[in-house]
Amino acid sequence: MTALLQLENLSIVAGDSVLVEPISLTLAKGQRLTILGETGAGKSLLIQAIMGLLPPPLRRQGTVRIVGQDIDTLSRKDQQRLWGHHISMLPQEPWYSLDPLMRSQQQVAEVYECVQQERPDQANVKAQRDLVGVGLGEAGHRLPGQLSGGMAQRLAFCAATAGGAEIVLADEPTKGLDISRRDYIAALLRQKGEDGAVLTITHDVEVARQIGGTIMVMRNGRLVEQGNAESLLGAPSAGYTQELINAAPESWPSVRRHQPNVSRATVLEAQGLEKTRGGKTLFKELDLVINQGEIVGITGDSGCGKSSLGDILLGLLPADKGRVVRAPGVAPYKYLKLYQDPLAAFASAASLKQLFDDVIRLHGLDARKVPPLLEQLRLSPALLDRAVHEVSGGELQRLAIARALLLEPVFLFADEPVSRLDPITAREVALLLTQVATEHNCAVLLVSHDPYLVEKTCDRTLALGAPE
Amino acid sequence: MRRVKQLNGSQQIGAAILACLVGFAFLEWLLNGTDPAVQNLGNLFAAPSLAEPLGTDQFGRSMLARMGAALRLSLLLSLVCVLTSATIGVALGVLAGWREGWIDRIVSFVLNMVLALPGLVLILLFAGLAPGSLLMLYLGISLVLWVEYFRVVRAITRASVASSPMQASRMLGFGSFYCFKRHVWPALLTPVLTLAAFGAAASILALAALGFVAVGLRPPTAELGLMMVELFPYYSEAPWVLAQPVFAVFLLIIALNLLAGKTK
Repeated sequence: MTALLQLENLSIVAGDSVLVEPISLTLAKGQRLTILGETGAGKSLLIQAIMGLLPPPLRRQGTVRIVGQDIDTLSRKDQQRLWGHHISMLPQEPWYSLDPLMRSQQQVAEVYECVQQERPDQANVKAQRDLVGVGLGEAGHRLPGQLSGGMAQRLAFCAATAGGAEIVLADEPTKGLDISRRDYIAALLRQKGEDGAVLTITHDVEVARQIGGTIMVMRNGRLVEQGNAESLLGAPSAGYTQELINAAPESWPSVRRHQPNVSRATVLEAQGLEKTRGGKTLFKELDLVINQGEIVGITGDSGCGKSSLGDILLGLLPADKGRVVRAPGVAPYKYLKLYQDPLAAFASAASLKQLFDDVIRLHGLDARKVPPLLEQLRLSPALLDRAVHEVSGGELQRLAIARALLLEPVFLFADEPVSRLDPITAREVALLLTQVATEHNCAVLLVSHDPYLVEKTCDRTLALGAPE
Repeated sequence: MRRVKQLNGSQQIGAAILACLVGFAFLEWLLNGTDPAVQNLGNLFAAPSLAEPLGTDQFGRSMLARMGAALRLSLLLSLVCVLTSATIGVALGVLAGWREGWIDRIVSFVLNMVLALPGLVLILLFAGLAPGSLLMLYLGISLVLWVEYFRVVRAITRASVASSPMQASRMLGFGSFYCFKRHVWPALLTPVLTLAAFGAAASILALAALGFVAVGLRPPTAELGLMMVELFPYYSEAPWVLAQPVFAVFLLIIALNLLAGKTK
């Protein structure tokens, strides 16, 4: 068995600091390898190093062999000759690798023409066959902007593999995809791994499980453990691996604790809501009552109008029909929103302390309430001295929760509050949000594309219709 | 001081050149008592000496005094024009971008009327109404310059008002003034300063251009464009004298353009 891809003591350094510690691996035909770890673990750097695309201050040490050739002995031009023919890369965001002005089928046909030197008519036939193979047969004439995230990723997959490369490197190929589409991509990679070699990088334990093969768990540029997918995920030996497995919403503890028979005051009521966007009816005749301290989940695939519904309930977006009634006598600032990207909630020009002080001054609040609240959310008060972009995403999202809770809100609309966070952080933030909101008797409308997350954290769930 | 440190290399060079020119114009006014209009027909085109460091012109007038006066005129006029046009443009831009509706429509209509004429033609028109009047030049230049501020500020304001950080502040109960201070103003500051530097350069050029085609200020005023056209016939006799106003305009424009360059 010849090794298609071989790394020997590959490490990545920037100046004096080592970003990825020496790692050795061999991928032969028919093998699948998945590198699992959270953001910042140096996973993406590894793929860039293999392709020879590390940005300048970073340097690679050790040996990379692609189909038996040491890439250090090859000129830049010879290295590039390997691309497409022997090794190809499936990027994180398909939008950046597709031509926005070229029809889908042409993007794949072009690879056959330019890399495989085939005649245009032959290339077109093959491209059409590839697209049908991934369920895009009807979408060949569409532009990338007219495709959904999952479709674009499948198209990128076709374009990346059309050159006939045996080795496919996939960098977070399922980022931002709904569960059904995520599974589809994982199946494609698994299939590709049977007649070639696939190196996948992901933070999603479920994707790693579905692709199978070998798994390497990485943390902070260091290999934590490696082994066969089934045995490693079934019985991990490292604590960090266990943590990663626990971070998937499927494994969260269920925090339902709401007794439905207790009568509570209504904080928000929607009657007969209807919203149409781009000629598509998102929902109609939708009635919803949210009671005090209740946690309501909304699920559905992307584009089904989950966020629009929340915005309508908060009055940020007009509904086409129907009305939203708030509880009488409650100040308007007690209905608040948590954003998907926590940066979206804060003015970037001021320090966090200033922003908190602004809120405290505006509403005449007691500044002594802040430290215990931060403690409740497991935040250090010293964080407030930093600027918005100097704290991590997980910390900033918890600070956003803290700022909202300062006002003792009755209703919080949390729009995918953890989907931009690492799995371990996401778990912590989601569980803290629901727990602390319940303690403050604040109702939460939690929107998420992940049905498990909603199932584990919410008192009841509203599923919005599937698109298309 | 903090702002100066934030400037990048070329901006620091621009600021340094500008500081030298301002320093020269100011010190000349403070220390050199010579009247720029006093003629001395017995001392035409004197070469630079200790008494006349920049030589004399075709009427024997002190070039040091004339350059100082011309620079002061250009710098002051550009400063006043920039302040006026920036104030009007930013105020209207914020108003139109924030409130939209009829205010936006009216101001945008006026803007399109101003834009329909090339800037210099409009300034010429104003200058033609009252030849030699500095006030008319000031009005004309300001009228042309505010358009840029308005367009940029309106676009940025619209984006800031629709942004989610401002939506979040609104929901927290903050009023319009707070939202302006925290969200709109920080986003406006850098582009407005950049526009101000370009605007100052544009007004200096406009003043010099009008002087050069003899519809601007009248002799014997010391003005850079006017000096160029007056000294032009003598370019073979005394090239160093003609070079002075040309070089001064060149330095002013390059300093302001460097200053307007990209921030880090």
